[in-house]
Amino acid sequence: MMILSHRLLVIIGRLVVLAVIFVGTELGVRYGVMNQLFFSSPSEIFKALLAQWSNGTFLQDTGITILETLLGLCAGSLLGMAMGLILPQLRLFSNVFEPFLMVLNGIPVIVIAPLFILWLGLGILSKIGIGVYIVFFAMFIPVYTASLRLDSTLVDALCVMGASRYQIFWKVVVPSSLPSVYTGLKIGSGLALIGAVIGEFVASRSGLGHMILYASGTLDTPTLYLGIITLGVFAAALSFAVDALGPVLVRWRYSDEK
Amino acid sequence: MLEFRNVGFSFAGRREPIEVLHNVSFACGEDEIVAVIGPSGCGKSTLLSLANGLRTPTAGEVLVDGKPVTEPSSLIGMLFQQSTLLPWRSVVENIELGLEIRGEPKGSRRAKAHTLMRQYGLAGFERKYPHALSGGMQKRAALAQTLAVEPEVLLLDEPFAALDAQTRAVIENDVVKICRAGKRTMLMVTHDIAEAISMSDRVVVLSRRPATVKEIYETPLSRRAANVADVPGMPEFAQFFKRIWNALDISITGMSSVA
Repeated sequence: MMILSHRLLVIIGRLVVLAVIFVGTELGVRYGVMNQLFFSSPSEIFKALLAQWSNGTFLQDTGITILETLLGLCAGSLLGMAMGLILPQLRLFSNVFEPFLMVLNGIPVIVIAPLFILWLGLGILSKIGIGVYIVFFAMFIPVYTASLRLDSTLVDALCVMGASRYQIFWKVVVPSSLPSVYTGLKIGSGLALIGAVIGEFVASRSGLGHMILYASGTLDTPTLYLGIITLGVFAAALSFAVDALGPVLVRWRYSDEK
Repeated sequence: MLEFRNVGFSFAGRREPIEVLHNVSFACGEDEIVAVIGPSGCGKSTLLSLANGLRTPTAGEVLVDGKPVTEPSSLIGMLFQQSTLLPWRSVVENIELGLEIRGEPKGSRRAKAHTLMRQYGLAGFERKYPHALSGGMQKRAALAQTLAVEPEVLLLDEPFAALDAQTRAVIENDVVKICRAGKRTMLMVTHDIAEAISMSDRVVVLSRRPATVKEIYETPLSRRAANVADVPGMPEFAQFFKRIWNALDISITGMSSVA
């Protein structure tokens, strides 16, 4: 009863906050308290959505940004995971490559984005490339560190049982990296979206980043807000989806406690 | 039968090789429990890593059934001090790990694991993850994991050090019973003199580094007692304890210098 009423209160509270934002901006903008150049009322943002929807650009822009984000996230994660798992097995390679990877990781993505546009063009490929670049490090670093700090007792135990290097890799190295893979996915999902939008900001013909940039250039404030809100909703949905992967990837941590 | 024959081991130091073991010779027969005890850092664990095939001696040889140990083999199993249960596998999957590594088909290895779980009082916990088990049950599961492949020689590296006293007494007794019943060869490393006397037929005392065999004591109390926990209460126990304590030559000068 107590728990139910608490949850109910939380939901009511959230709805109240949402209502205050909606009604506040609506009235504020309508009666001139908030400047129309800087703020938009929900009704104007909805009108912008209808306009974008009817000329077909809203779904296209949103779809393209989602596609870039998801492809960048998947490809970058797979690449980062593979490298993070394999490199520690080859000590010589990992020692050789470590400083180069550190430098690459240190370069801010915003300055490397023009390079990807140059290499891969104005379309979707260059945005996926930028996404792969930053997601790679978000995944590689935790997985690599975890593989280097492997529990040596587990490895010894499997060796004594007669396991081959291949068996140790699949039975110990890979599963013990899964919590780090989950961490990498959490960080990477946010970065993939940033990568896609940055790419669109630098040079593009479509996507939510393009829509925002265009709206900002034409002083179309409602569309600007529409773009920001759409990105926010997508980011939240993505993070929710990644969180749901936790009990799948690290099942043993979510299972029955003592 | 496990035999150390003039075994030496040294590893490369900064300037010259550091000798850890020097001319160690003793044997551990079938159906026999031998405890190795020595000052901390003397190379007890190194001795076990030579027996399980993770390292090779730099002098002499380690023999199992007369054949030199050069690599891990299914004849030799080891129970480690830390948990060797893989946290992402259920208890039953952990117990069948050794069989799985050897390529045994799923059906038969699962059946063996279930039998072991019943024997070791773990029935009902098959699908739990190791973290859901108590310390004592984890140790029993690790023992089942080690013995599932039916090794002839069982090595133990201070396996009970992390357990509370009551759990420890129960597990020690279980291990001795299981070993005696299976007529296995068992070699355990410990720093606990009472544990060594209570569980083993013989106690090998090592010297400081480079470790050599200082003394070997026959300790028949374990075989006479019905339960490992009864041994410290036996009248001869104090004598054995004192002799081994003296042989260990543990320095207690630290305290007098404080006073």
